[in-house]
Amino acid sequence: MPIDFNHKKFLVIDDFGEFRSTLRRMLQSFDAKDIDDATNGEAAIELMSNKSYDVVLCDYNLGYNRKDGQQVLEEARHRKLIMFSTVFIMVTAENSMEMVMGAVEYQPDDYLMKPFAREVLRTRLERAIRKKSDFEIIERAIERREYVRAIALCDQHIRKIPKNIFEYLKLKGELCITVGDYQNAKAVYDKILSIRDIAWARLGIGKVNYFTEDYATATDVFRSIIEQNNLYIEAYDWLSRSLLAQHEPEEAQRILLAAAEISPKSIFRHKTLGEISFRIKDLELSEKSFKKAIHLGQYSYFKSPSIYTGLARVLVEKKEPEVALNVIREVRNEFRDNSAASLQAAVMEGIIFKEMNRPDDAKKAIQEAILLMDSSSECLADDIAIDLAKACFDLGDKEAGTRLIQGIVRNNHDNEAVISKVREVFKNKQMENEGTKIISSAQREIILANNQGVRMVEEGKLDKAIEYFERAANSLRGNKIINANAAQALLMFIEKNGRNNELLERAGQYIGRLGSIDPSYNKYQKLLCMYERLLAG
Amino acid sequence: MDQQKDNIHFSAFLASIAHDMKNSLGMLINTSEEVLGSCTAETCPSQPLLTKLQYEAKRVNNNLVQLLALYRMDHARFTLNIAHHCVSEFIEDTITQNKPLLAFRGISLETDCPEDLVWFFDADLTAGIINNILNNAYRYARDKIWITVSEKDGYLVIHIRDNGQGYPEHMLTEKAGETPGISFSTGSTGLGLYFASLVARMHCNKGREGFIRTSNCGDSGCCFSLYLP
Repeated sequence: MPIDFNHKKFLVIDDFGEFRSTLRRMLQSFDAKDIDDATNGEAAIELMSNKSYDVVLCDYNLGYNRKDGQQVLEEARHRKLIMFSTVFIMVTAENSMEMVMGAVEYQPDDYLMKPFAREVLRTRLERAIRKKSDFEIIERAIERREYVRAIALCDQHIRKIPKNIFEYLKLKGELCITVGDYQNAKAVYDKILSIRDIAWARLGIGKVNYFTEDYATATDVFRSIIEQNNLYIEAYDWLSRSLLAQHEPEEAQRILLAAAEISPKSIFRHKTLGEISFRIKDLELSEKSFKKAIHLGQYSYFKSPSIYTGLARVLVEKKEPEVALNVIREVRNEFRDNSAASLQAAVMEGIIFKEMNRPDDAKKAIQEAILLMDSSSECLADDIAIDLAKACFDLGDKEAGTRLIQGIVRNNHDNEAVISKVREVFKNKQMENEGTKIISSAQREIILANNQGVRMVEEGKLDKAIEYFERAANSLRGNKIINANAAQALLMFIEKNGRNNELLERAGQYIGRLGSIDPSYNKYQKLLCMYERLLAG
Repeated sequence: MDQQKDNIHFSAFLASIAHDMKNSLGMLINTSEEVLGSCTAETCPSQPLLTKLQYEAKRVNNNLVQLLALYRMDHARFTLNIAHHCVSEFIEDTITQNKPLLAFRGISLETDCPEDLVWFFDADLTAGIINNILNNAYRYARDKIWITVSEKDGYLVIHIRDNGQGYPEHMLTEKAGETPGISFSTGSTGLGLYFASLVARMHCNKGREGFIRTSNCGDSGCCFSLYLP
């Protein structure tokens, strides 16, 4: 059945006027009526925020000092400016391989290499639209975090052995990893590899090894992928991660550096490179990497304040506090009305002023930070909180420092990685014994609190337990057990008393948090299944 | 040291010029397609000339695509973008690009491809190979091209045959070996076959490499076969 282009809304993005009009004429010849165009990414984003398009045709190269096509796609998808059903086609001037390799998270529905004949455009569009509708139900399930259902939907398709079976297998593997079902993920990838030695399936196996903490095998897998395909950027990123997990930051740095050379446009990669380099005291490279990340972020939706504070930290370490202060001024400027950014800026300012021997200014900055933190409803990233605690201790404010540490431990009472960072802070301050006490008492506090809530559940006082756990979960957003139990109490209540959309929605939020804290947590999958069952019923 | 630096700049410069040329060619091809689309032999006496123009532009474009790919291979900035594709859709796409021109020369195209065959290969590069073969067939076929696709012993086999004069001897794999085509003495650079064999060999699966075969089918026409594991 031919696809009706007459009622579809098209957006053409290209900096080359003649090409825009060529595309427009081609589309018109298929009976398309509603065609808008934009000469650059910024204008396109503007258009997309006001109108929902069915098809976006975007040139990759949109001119110097401009967003490129990939950045347009990332921002549009991330900000949900385009719908799931929107077909996004990237138009390229030459072989698309480098772009395919560079795009990790957000991939267009198809690539079209210039020049293409009218009929080719038509068949590609028709195919992409059809394919989109095949996957639409699964993608909607993913959007609602119904991962278990999405996996079941994939299985339904896979059983029918369709032409595009590999796409369903690939999606299923990714979903299994998302929900921490590593056994089934491995089964999917093994099955694919028995048919064909294909890089993404091997990457999947490597990820399974990584998440099951078999870092040595993961390292071997990622290395062998790169050996065969030295442009497969994702393998470099993962190799670097597994090297870090094996405490080989120097090698991890070297690998990331190689990746950044091949695919130099990833903000995230340069930021990570800056962080690793800082850890191994390679201040020159660290500075360079953070600067690069800032530069790349200029036109991107994905710029973040922590890149600036990372750079400021390097500058402090290099004994250039004045320059660091300028960087902080820049953050405040770039991220106005962003409380998380102001907080990070204030913490870093405190550290800088201390370095400059201006204790009063330092104190003022730290006080601002603490104030911002107390009034913030968001959960503070652990690293920033640790920084702030460290700064408090440095400035002799032991009480505030201790209070911060207690908060961090409560949020992460069973997270060994965070706890060891906290221990490190105490060790550097020669407060090891005192620190151990602070840590274990905060841990005990959470365990007791949790037990108390569990008792309420056991006694059948579900409504009380819900109230109790939800209050706890909202002050301990990073705590796995508390969030899991809040969700569980809610779901049990619904199971007993019948469907309640509002409660279900709240349970979904706690489960979502759980997924972003640690998808391999054993309770996560169970709760997810229960949630989806109640959602469907 | 300065010398080397200049070399790097020079090759990057070449690549970016080639890129720019590709953009212009793209416009040339699209525009000529539009013009040709709106004229017939009756209304426009220059139609044959326009068609010739388009054919030449496409030839240059194919060559440029291949040159850019070869440039990257040479700079270790190249690996295949292997993905699974539905072969019949892939063939359909490639043919769509070439059909109008072939039709103009009175050459008909017949394809035989299993509907649901899925294979792993680099679609851009493989399309480059086929475009090139079809472009040659435009020049040398009498009036017919056959494309047959099959799966044989773990290889995807794309077989393209025409009913023209056949390959000259130095282009036959049985005579010239694995990489036929490069023969400066005959004046033929044979870039297309060279490229085809290079790309075929880059396709590896389970220890097996791809390859090409060229032969003459009895007394009629060129036979080109691409084997991808």
